[in-house]
Order: sequence, then C-alpha cells, then structure tokens
Amino acid sequence: MPDNGRSPAGAATVTLTIDDREVTVPKGTSLLEAAALQGTALPHYCYHPGLSAPAQCRICLVEVEGAPKLQPSCVTMAQDGQVVKTDSPEALKMRKGVLEFYLVNHPLDCPICDMSGECKLQDYVFAEGREHGRGREPKRVFGRDDFGGDVLYYGDRCVMCTRCVRFMDEVARDSRLTVVERGSRAVIDTFFDEGLEGASFAGNVVDICPVGALVSKDFLHKARAWDLDSTPSVCPGCSQGCNIELHTRDNLVQRLKPRENAEVNGHWMCDFGRANYEGLNRGGRLEAPAAGRGAKRRPAGWDEALGQLFARLQAAAGADVKIVGSAEWSCEGLAALAAVGAETGEVSARVFRSRCAADEDRLPGFPALARRRDLAPNVDGARTLGFSRVGGEDAAGGLEEVAAHDGVLFVLGDDLADQEAAFGEAASLFVYMGAHGSEAAANADFVLPVTTFAEQEGTFVNVQQRVQRFWPGLRAPGEARPAWLVLGALLAALRGGEAAPASAAAAFSWLAGERAAFAGLSYEGLGAEGAPLAAPAGGNGAA
Amino acid sequence: MAISVKVMKRPEAGRTSYMRATLKGMSLTFKHLVRPQAATLEYPEEQPDLHPRWRGTHRMEVHADGRPKCVACGLCPTVCPANCIRLVGGEDDQGVRYPIVYEIDEFRCIFCGMCQEVCPVEAIHVGHHFENAEYERDRFVYDLDRLMDQDHSTTLLWDPSDRRSE
Repeated sequence: MPDNGRSPAGAATVTLTIDDREVTVPKGTSLLEAAALQGTALPHYCYHPGLSAPAQCRICLVEVEGAPKLQPSCVTMAQDGQVVKTDSPEALKMRKGVLEFYLVNHPLDCPICDMSGECKLQDYVFAEGREHGRGREPKRVFGRDDFGGDVLYYGDRCVMCTRCVRFMDEVARDSRLTVVERGSRAVIDTFFDEGLEGASFAGNVVDICPVGALVSKDFLHKARAWDLDSTPSVCPGCSQGCNIELHTRDNLVQRLKPRENAEVNGHWMCDFGRANYEGLNRGGRLEAPAAGRGAKRRPAGWDEALGQLFARLQAAAGADVKIVGSAEWSCEGLAALAAVGAETGEVSARVFRSRCAADEDRLPGFPALARRRDLAPNVDGARTLGFSRVGGEDAAGGLEEVAAHDGVLFVLGDDLADQEAAFGEAASLFVYMGAHGSEAAANADFVLPVTTFAEQEGTFVNVQQRVQRFWPGLRAPGEARPAWLVLGALLAALRGGEAAPASAAAAFSWLAGERAAFAGLSYEGLGAEGAPLAAPAGGNGAA
Repeated sequence: MAISVKVMKRPEAGRTSYMRATLKGMSLTFKHLVRPQAATLEYPEEQPDLHPRWRGTHRMEVHADGRPKCVACGLCPTVCPANCIRLVGGEDDQGVRYPIVYEIDEFRCIFCGMCQEVCPVEAIHVGHHFENAEYERDRFVYDLDRLMDQDHSTTLLWDPSDRRSE
C-alpha cells in the first residue's frame, strides 16, 4: 500500500507489518489494538480499552524489529514501517516466563473459583504457559477480604493488574481502592473500613478483573461460566438503557453484565441495574388466555379469545377508550395497543405509570452514563408513542379516572398492584394484558398473557432518544405471547385485510411506517447498538 | 453388488455316520461329570469377583470430619454424557464451597466413569457395587447423604503400578 500518511477521510494513518501482514491503522493506535484489528489477539491484563494503560503486567510483550528489548504492545504506538512479531520465539519465551511468575503464588483453585471458565490467567496459561509448574516453595496465602457492597476480594488470585484501582480513580473518580505493600505481599485494599460500600458503580471492578480476584457476592458459587447462556439485551433498570447481556441458566437470569456500546454506556453499568434482575425471574405468571368477567371466567385458547375480543371490539365501535400502558413493554407492543385503541373508538387517555428516583447518579468518568430518574427502560418510548405519565414516584395512584371509566379499557403490562378489586367495574369492555395476574383484573373480560422483554424481541427507546433492540433470553411461560404479536393480529383484523406482523422485524417495520418518529429506521439497521430516533420526541397519535 | 451365495456340499443322506461326533460330545459331558468346571455362579449366595475397574454405584468420599470432599466445581455435571448429575453449589459457614444439592440419577447414568476421572479433588467415585434394586423409581436418584453413606470399595480407573496406564 502506498504510504501517503493520509486516509481518504483525512485522518492520519500509519501502515505497519504485524506477523508478516500489513495493516493500516489510525495514528495513535497501540500495537495491541492494531494487532486486534489485524486479527491477532494479544494477551493483556493491565490494558483495558476503557482505562489508561500502565504497562505493568508485561504479558503483552512483542518483538519490534530494531528495538533492543521486547516492547509492551499496549503502550507502544504503531508507527509507519514498523515490523512487529507477536509470536516470535523470543516473544513467546518471554510471555511464558511472565506467566510462570504469575503462577508462583497463584493458588490454582480453579475448581472453587467463580471466574473459572472466563479467566484470562486460565486462558493464557493454557495457550502459552508451561505444561507443568516447577515451584517447590510454599505459596503465600492471604485469604479473602470483603470489600463491602457486592464485591469480594481474593488476594491469592490477584495478578496486580490494578484495573480495579484505575477504574475507581479514572472512571468512578472515587479513589477507594489502592495497592498496599510491595512485591509478593502486594494486595488491593480499601481505605479504613469504608470499603466499596455505597459506591454505586463499584460492580464494574468485578467485570474488569481478568482473574477471579474480585468476584460478585450475589453471583458467588451460583453458576459456572460455561453453563451460562448469554443474550444481548437492554437493562430494564432505568431509562439510560445500558446495553447488557442476560446471563441465563435453567431459564432463570443469573446475572447481568454490561455490553459495550460507546454511545450509551461504554463498558460500564451501575450497581442498581446490575442487581435489578430478580423481577425477570418472578414466578406466578399468567400462562393461558382467559375470557369472562369474575366468576364467569373460563380458560380460552388464543384463537377463541382473540375471536371473541375482535367481535366485542367491533360491537364497541365508536366507544370512549382509555389505555393504560407500561414503560417496561416494547415500543411495538405499545404502538400496536395505541393503534387498536384508535381503531376501536375515541382514545381519551393513554397513560403509564413508572417509578422515579429522587435524583440521577452519574458516572463521572463517562458522563453519558447515569442511573436516570425514570426507573423503567421505555419511558421515552412510551412518551414518543403518545403515552403520558400519571401517578406518584412509586408508580402508584393516578388511575382514579381510568378505574371508573365506563367505556373500553385496555391495560398492558401494569400490574395494578395498588388498585382495588372494583377496578374497571363500570367498563363496557376491559382487556387486561400482562405477565402477572392481578386482583384488580377481576372485572377484566379478557385476561391475555404476554411476555416480558426478556422473553421476546423488540425495541426500547432510551433517554437519549436512541432505539435499541433486545433479544429473548428466557423461554416464555405457557402460552404467553409478545404483545405486538397479539395486538398486531387484532389490529390487522380490525383494519381488515392488513397483514399481521409475524416477526419482531415486521412489527418494527409496521411501527416505522406508522409513526413519524420511527420513520426511516430499519430493524436490521438498528443492529446490536441501536440508532437515534428520527424526530426528537412528541410523536403524533396513530391514525 | 450382486450377492454371492456359497453352496455347501453336504454328504448324501444315509451315507454318513454321526457316531464319531456323538462320542466326542459325550466325552466332554463325562469329563464335566468327573471334574466339574463351574461356569454357573450360585448368586446371591456366592458373590461375583468384581474386576478392579468395575464401574458400579457411585460413592462420595468424605473428609475425616464427615464433610463431603466435593467442592461443587461443576465439572462432573459438565462432563456427564447422560446428564444425570444435578449440582447446586454454595458456601458453608466456614466460607468453604460445598454442594448444597448433589444428586445422581442411577437410572440415567451409563457408568462411564468420567465423573470420577474429571473430579479434581477425588470426591465422586464409581464403585464395586451393582445391587441397586429398589421398590420405587424415585429411590434411584441418590442424594448427597446416600452417596456419602455408600461403603463399597471404589473403582481404579487405571493400574497404579503401571504408570503408562494413567
């Protein structure tokens, strides 16, 4: 490639050779990142893309032609014409030696270590280390230290990469961790007894720890890394919509881990969101559709229930319609609900209720990320779709008018936990769609089980007006179906002749065609990282 | 491919004598009458001699203080090809990782011995035991206490005197 030092975009680039292959990277890229771009994964502990690199772990050493010694690739910047060898005998020998030193005091307690299976020390020693240890001396033993919060520290397993110390310094800007003592006696410790208690982003040190030194108390001994299935998703904790992975086993969410998205959450997520997964594992779900009010309620198949509901909606044409949505349901479901309401009659209320926190909790080193005030993932999506928030900060109250409504009443996803059994008594038609049953649903003419976001595909809109997709990580219980599938079929029948969406992609393209705010977006185009909404907010009503 | 049939040539009827073969057979019979070779085992009065590598009912080894040796690492349920081991790990009051639930379904088990082979702490073993008859099917799921109570000798997966066998 001719070396003109400039890429078409105008940014300076350099061209170098890594393992006999030429690669062109932006100026200021480290050798480690350049090698990754070229397809060579170099081992590293202290380097982390979200942190500074102190080049102290010495595990990323590579041979650079002309340099007298091996170079740490995480801090050596790529230069024009450089010839780098990542797997020369010299580099391999050095890395093997470094790994042997790491194992001098490592307890090799993989069978009882929570990190086993996703541990970088395990991986690197397996790939490049010695087959047998040569140490005969006894190993030093530290035991474990409770750092407070959700973090537990095993000093024996630590490789002293100081990622956790740098995270607390640089990103959380709350220097609560430090290295004490030196040499083989060095450990990570906290100041005084304060520990990490109350540090609201401290859970990230568990994620970035490359070995099993920092582990989560919540996840301790719960599951093995290789037993977990990982599904890309969006955190349901607040309207920030951090990109996460649902780690599931036995159809239960075992833990949440952040998924990288430079626009939303970087590599991080907050402890509030991390601990907020129990709701997804809640039992007592609605499993089969049922029709009939109070004592007359009978289980019905989907065909039967939707057929009856369709007839009732047609009969109720022109009625006054009130809709209670939920900021925990997908945009497709809420939009389809609003459209079904508009198709039935005059919609006089579109409301949702969600919990609110007193203030935001921002991550100083990554200001785009904060635990937002709205503690539901799709508050902005619901607002965009014309729903307005009612009730108190604890998601209670505010439904007096709806409860006494005498027209058609739709409830999607709101448990109505604070409502009386007389809720909707006067309604001419009351449709309750939710994941859990409710006492206030006693007067419902139809109770339809719908899936939570963790059991279906769909999209949320976060506080940055960014549409983000999520994927199903859990199996839906019984006959529960996604709300967009149920309501999409109903809407297609009401409109007569329109094709019902058979997939989440079809539901989203319907939404993009229906609502101006979503216009121009494609489901495939959203990808794993999402895309901003076309118009800022304040969507217009459907039809 | 065509099937080829080989036609055996047989002596014509009435042209052969079976006397020699009969005597040969009878001689074997009389030999057994004089010096019996016991192929039949009078089970259950007589017990079979189990081979050192016989892989039978599981057994959990215990420490001197009665705790199971298992550290709930999860390798045996991972390696088990019949998926017959259920394990839930936890921590006891000393901070030691141990199995809260450890169950082996002896019906599902195919007695391959891989659980013993993979165990890093030599806790779970297959053993020299095969008489597991029960009156109820549920009883074939052995829980941790029952596995620890087993007292039969355990299987040698290799010959300790022969290093090559390891």
